[in-house]
Amino acid sequence: MVKFTRRSFLQASGVAAAGLASPVGMPALLRSAQAQSGPVKLGCLFSSSGTMANLEGRLNYVVKMAADEINAKGGVNGRTLDVLVSDPASDWPLYAQTAKQMLQQEKVSALFGCWTSVSRKTVLPVVEQEKGLLYYPLHFEGDENSKNVVYVNSPPASSVLPAVDYLMSEEGVSAKRFFMLGSDYVWPRTINKQLKGYWKSKGIPESAWKEEYVPFGFSNFQTLVNQIRAFADQGGGQPVVVLTVVGNSIPDFMREFANQGILATDIPVLGLDMVEADLEGLDTSKLVGHLNCWAYLQNAKGPANEAFLKNWAGYVTAKNVPFKGDVSIDPMVSAYDSVHLWAMAAQKAGSFEVPEVSKAFAGLSFDCPSGYKIAMTGENNYVSRGVFIGSVNDKQGFDILWQSKDTPKPVPFSPYG
Amino acid sequence: MTSRHLPTFLAGLLVSAVLATPGAAAAALDRAALVAGLCGNAGQMFEAAAALTATAATGSDEDRAWALALPRALIEKTLACDAAGAVLGNGSLDAVSRAVREPAPDARAPVLSLKNRAVFEQADAALALRSAPGAGARAAALRMLERRPAVLPEGLLDAAAAAESDPALKAQIVGLAQTAALNASDPAARLRAIGRIADNPSRRALAQMTELTHDPAYAANAEFRAAIDAATRRIERGIAMGDVLAALYNGLSFASILFMAAIGLAIIFGLMGVINLAQGELIMIGAYVTWMVQQGLRIVAPALLDWYLILAIPVAFVVTAAIGIALEALLLRHLYKRPLMSLLATWAVSLFLVNLVRVVFGTQNMQFETPFYVSGGVPVIGDFIFTWNRMFAIAFAVVTLALTWAIVRRTPLGLNIRAVTQNRDMAACIGIPTRRVDMMTFGLGSGLAGLAGLALSPIYSVNPQMGQNFIIDSFMVVVLGGVGTIAGTVVAALGIGQINVLIEPLWGAVAAKVIVLLMIIAFLQWRPEGLFAVRGRRK
Repeated sequence: MVKFTRRSFLQASGVAAAGLASPVGMPALLRSAQAQSGPVKLGCLFSSSGTMANLEGRLNYVVKMAADEINAKGGVNGRTLDVLVSDPASDWPLYAQTAKQMLQQEKVSALFGCWTSVSRKTVLPVVEQEKGLLYYPLHFEGDENSKNVVYVNSPPASSVLPAVDYLMSEEGVSAKRFFMLGSDYVWPRTINKQLKGYWKSKGIPESAWKEEYVPFGFSNFQTLVNQIRAFADQGGGQPVVVLTVVGNSIPDFMREFANQGILATDIPVLGLDMVEADLEGLDTSKLVGHLNCWAYLQNAKGPANEAFLKNWAGYVTAKNVPFKGDVSIDPMVSAYDSVHLWAMAAQKAGSFEVPEVSKAFAGLSFDCPSGYKIAMTGENNYVSRGVFIGSVNDKQGFDILWQSKDTPKPVPFSPYG
Repeated sequence: MTSRHLPTFLAGLLVSAVLATPGAAAAALDRAALVAGLCGNAGQMFEAAAALTATAATGSDEDRAWALALPRALIEKTLACDAAGAVLGNGSLDAVSRAVREPAPDARAPVLSLKNRAVFEQADAALALRSAPGAGARAAALRMLERRPAVLPEGLLDAAAAAESDPALKAQIVGLAQTAALNASDPAARLRAIGRIADNPSRRALAQMTELTHDPAYAANAEFRAAIDAATRRIERGIAMGDVLAALYNGLSFASILFMAAIGLAIIFGLMGVINLAQGELIMIGAYVTWMVQQGLRIVAPALLDWYLILAIPVAFVVTAAIGIALEALLLRHLYKRPLMSLLATWAVSLFLVNLVRVVFGTQNMQFETPFYVSGGVPVIGDFIFTWNRMFAIAFAVVTLALTWAIVRRTPLGLNIRAVTQNRDMAACIGIPTRRVDMMTFGLGSGLAGLAGLALSPIYSVNPQMGQNFIIDSFMVVVLGGVGTIAGTVVAALGIGQINVLIEPLWGAVAAKVIVLLMIIAFLQWRPEGLFAVRGRRK
């Protein structure tokens, strides 16, 4: 005889109910009902530890600041934004793992992240597979156009090439010879490949350049600076250094360069990844005149920048952010632009689904703190940005030496590579 | 005459023409135009700089004294341009009249382009050479002018030499004037210039000589050809010697860094067999202690600020040694029987220290003053520059080596350390307090790491991650040198440093790292105990 107690009856009917309910999509209904009410999640993929911590760490706070700004105005589509922060610890594969976790478990609507191209390359297959959306705030080597990545900063055609053109012009230093020094990974190698193609197209002979790479985190630049001096003394026109080392290699290189008595007027250095934060801790009086090129510099004129700098300084004080409130670098502004561009697209689409948001990209424009009106065309996921060439000053910052009239149309694939 | 010289020449003519007409009105007019040029566009600024350089060569004393402050103000961005001209920042003097006035609120400081920066540096140096009151300032100006002798206006150096009161400096100016006469019309002056250039061999000098072999005089004049050939040979010899010295110096400096990072580890590893993964973090803490001593001096005794690197030596040693002793007493003491555990424990300590420093100080690079004894360098011969910050590290490494050797070989503690290293049980049997020796040794090793941090702060960036860069390198040195020997550490550091520096220019820095690692692996296959093995019975 089967004992039919109250408990076993309830258990059985519960199982039966669940079994009946699931085919008609009960859990899915439940989930979407929940999602409609709560805040929208955004994910950050910036390291707070490891070699990139000092640079990437501050971008977490900028994304939060931008989200707070949007929330203060009522959020997007009637919902507030909630920023999730992670720490991939400057460990490239961990970026992909963290991205996967954020997309699968947290169901973030968009990711903001990566500094080095190697981290972006590891995240790329994840966002493509999970159909997520990554906003990448760094200028980079181009030659990539995924529909799941928004390239908020400039490809070489609208950052590096104008700067090299400036150096080669009469107005610059009429540069004739080039020493390329980079960290050994995809960004420096691709940039240098494109530069070589560019110089070839200008009829510059191969003997006019030299290429050297160092491992990540390399800091003993004595021999390399010797090589640069020897290269410069061979004669044959004004030499320049195109520097694509990253992280702490930048200040360590600049220190050795100045110590060997080389001035910017002897051999200028174009530091493609050099930002204000890299000059912290350096005696810049001997480095005055060296160059960088970005889509934003802290000294950019205009009310948008004044407002941004004021907000950031206020945010740093209010939230006790462990970074300087009076230092603002291009990737910070690009991360800030990213959040606003995403919010505008989501608002325009009236949805947070990636395909809908992507469709809304065409025609977006935003008043960037750089003073330019940055825009997306819908042809690709690139954003057209202004170009600045900065010159190191003795206050560990950059003066604006040159800036473009307007925002050049971004060219994703370089014809010179 | 090249187009580059043309504006200089024209401006020179202009200035001399103005000076030839007596009366202050004309000169004042010229001053206003010049200041307007300084506030103009890039082209106008270039011409204004040329006019300033010409003033240095041929202008009157009053004009030179008036002009002296202008290029420096532009370089330092203290010149404020407004509608009424410009104001010199320090003291708010009008640039033209030198009357006190405040700049307009919308005044801007012009930014020098790279091209203009070079000409303004030259104008500044030329004016300072003629008119600076101190001999030191004039000597510095001369060094700046030496960088580009070919573009100096004619007559500048002769006039400066005639007016110079300091005999040593006068001789230098005459020397530079002779060097600058390389393309003069007088053949004797050219020969003298060639000799002068060969006195300072460099690749640039060699390029100049090579260029001169295409000169018509090279084919026509036997004396000239002989002079060029002799100079070329001398320069080539100088360059070769410079290259050898530079390679040795670079190798030595890298070796000193490796040695400093590894010596503490060698002692700890040798004595206790503890693989201390927190050694790199002790280096980092040494650097942070140095920074704190600097900040302390800034408040307590600003006059001694330049000597913070010396004054921080005992502090860095004591603080890191204390951390080491605490680490040993609280943690490692309980794990001696479990070496794997002690490895993990020190790794945990390393993570803890990195994050502690990150929370307390932040992730940014720390700002260090650069005292005169670790800044810049002296060109010696060829392309060899003797840089003071590297020399500081080398000297520091040598002193550390001497002291460590003295402690281990000449003190009772050292005797105990050696006894325990050779045979712990036997040492315990004859009454050596091995536990105390362990603690003291760990303290010594940690203190040495702290000193390494101090010595590295003028060379490398100081941030919470800095220690992690050293841990692999220092293990490499310790394992290659033979565990626990000072001599082994020295030889291994010298070897790795020198080999790295020799490979780097040939195959690049990435390959250098790989090749050195392969060489070490191969060597350890052949001699697993390292270069110098400690004799004795080890566990």
